[in-house]
Amino acid sequence: MAATERPTRRSMGDRLYDAIFSNRVWRSIFRSGYPNTPRNQMLAVATNVFLHLHPTRIHRTHVKITHTFCLGGLSFFLFLGLTISGVLLMFYYVPSVERAYEDILRLDTDVRFGQLMRNMHRWMAHGMVLTVLMHMMRVFYTGAYKPPREFNWVIGVVLLVLTLLLSFTGYLLPWDQLALWAITVGTNMVGSAPLLGEPNRFVLVGGFQVGQNALIRFYTLHVIGLPLMAAVFMTVHFWRIRRDGGLAKPL
Amino acid sequence: MTTANPAEAQSAAVRGRARRQREEELLVWPDLVFIEFISAVVFTILLVGLSVTVDAILLDRANPAVTPNPSKAPWYFLNLQEMLLHMHPALAGVIVPTVALIALGAIPYWDTDNDGQGEWLSGPRHWLNVYVGAAVGSLGTLLLIFFDNGTHANLWQAATGTKFPVSWLVNMREFQKNFPLWQDGAPLAFLKDIQLGGLLRADLLGGPKIDFALNIPAVLVEQIIPVMAMVGLPILLSAVAHKRGIAQTKRDHMILQFSGFIAVYVTLTVVGTYFRGQGLALGPYTIFAHH
Ligand code: HEM
Repeated sequence: MAATERPTRRSMGDRLYDAIFSNRVWRSIFRSGYPNTPRNQMLAVATNVFLHLHPTRIHRTHVKITHTFCLGGLSFFLFLGLTISGVLLMFYYVPSVERAYEDILRLDTDVRFGQLMRNMHRWMAHGMVLTVLMHMMRVFYTGAYKPPREFNWVIGVVLLVLTLLLSFTGYLLPWDQLALWAITVGTNMVGSAPLLGEPNRFVLVGGFQVGQNALIRFYTLHVIGLPLMAAVFMTVHFWRIRRDGGLAKPL
Repeated sequence: MTTANPAEAQSAAVRGRARRQREEELLVWPDLVFIEFISAVVFTILLVGLSVTVDAILLDRANPAVTPNPSKAPWYFLNLQEMLLHMHPALAGVIVPTVALIALGAIPYWDTDNDGQGEWLSGPRHWLNVYVGAAVGSLGTLLLIFFDNGTHANLWQAATGTKFPVSWLVNMREFQKNFPLWQDGAPLAFLKDIQLGGLLRADLLGGPKIDFALNIPAVLVEQIIPVMAMVGLPILLSAVAHKRGIAQTKRDHMILQFSGFIAVYVTLTVVGTYFRGQGLALGPYTIFAHH
């Protein structure tokens, strides 16, 4: 129903509608009426900080699922989900060699929904590595890296590396045999680099072998350092998509 | 008005184009926001379903004194761990991934012509290049892994009951040890142990005394041959594809190489994850069977 076509007699529904969407409280929060007219729909997107990540209009082919397979959006969705479930896990987990493993065990056995939270966090982490890789393939095969989007592709490569590092640092935290030895194998690879490899490995692990120092370093990187960096790069990534004129479209 | 004002005609054309562009557009609310909302709901349900049914793995408490066999990195690094079995660790663990990431980031600065952007593989040869790249990348990787594993020699032995006739072609270790030119007793055997300590007199500069031995066959097998394979085989692929008319434009070659890269990456990851067992020997393996 367009804004100009108000029926002369207002029905019950219309009055209810006005009561909900035209009062001062609603207006104070959302600035526009319910998005049922083109004008309000555009306002809904343009005046909301979260929706404003989007433009108000987009090209017809870009809403086709098969154009993006939602993969960039899914990566972001998983990042948000990982942040939420990660914060909940932090309530129960202490990054100490004495406690870490027992904390995870307790999470699986004593904490209500603890196992569910840990499972969600784990599967979302695996999922995000997959969706980011597939998103990169989607961008490549649609030729969306071409000018003017070169630099956003580079930002994307940085995001890929950050995603892998986030997953890798999280891998150590349960402090079980899988964690310890996977990180030992992984950090030994770093150590094999010519010249700077061994010093780098030493800084990363905080010693000659994976122990308490490595645990606290990986924990700090995992819960604050890398997520912050990823958030900054994602902000730039999304900003650049808007600045570069939305998603790539055929000339 | 009989004489068209060129400026007016032009602006009409611009307006026409703008209008056509508008007609190609949809409003983000509702068209996109609803899709995003629905997929968020669907994936939340899927993830909760998965998490209710499959538990995240937790093994025994970490114990630095007990090394599990095999010890594996997280799955997304098993491609590197697989390469580690075939070349120098610095190459597999650091240099190759660094170069690969830089090359990945450089793609848009290489392929700068923005023809065919925003559409799935729209060119006439694009899909063909995906298939060729994926097939060559995965099969080539498997063949190289089987060769370095000595699978051909094992098959020969199983079929004929005799040892593989060319001992230095059993795998790369055998090549390093037994190639006729430098096998023990051959005139060039000294190549395996060239003492360079006397050459680099770091001790004269107050540094530590350097005892440095050069093993040329080892350098060949662990560094030179792998680098030649990793650089040369993709170039060879592009050259052949060019000759055959499979890849003609820059974008064709990009697609060929990128698909090849993804196929190699996936193959190495799958082999490293599911086909490396105890002692990282080639054979089916799953972590779940052992715990
Ligand atoms: C944490 C990782 C990432 C997140 C959250 C993310 C998110 C997004 C989102 C939401 C979009 C909008 C379109 C879509 O959904 O496909 C997008 C587009 C894009 N992404 Fe990413 N991305 C990530 C990683 C990457 C990577 C690894 C690359 C490439 C190496 C990349 C390159 C691009 C480019 C070039 C575009 C523009 C595509 C176009 O114009 O069609 N991104 N990204």
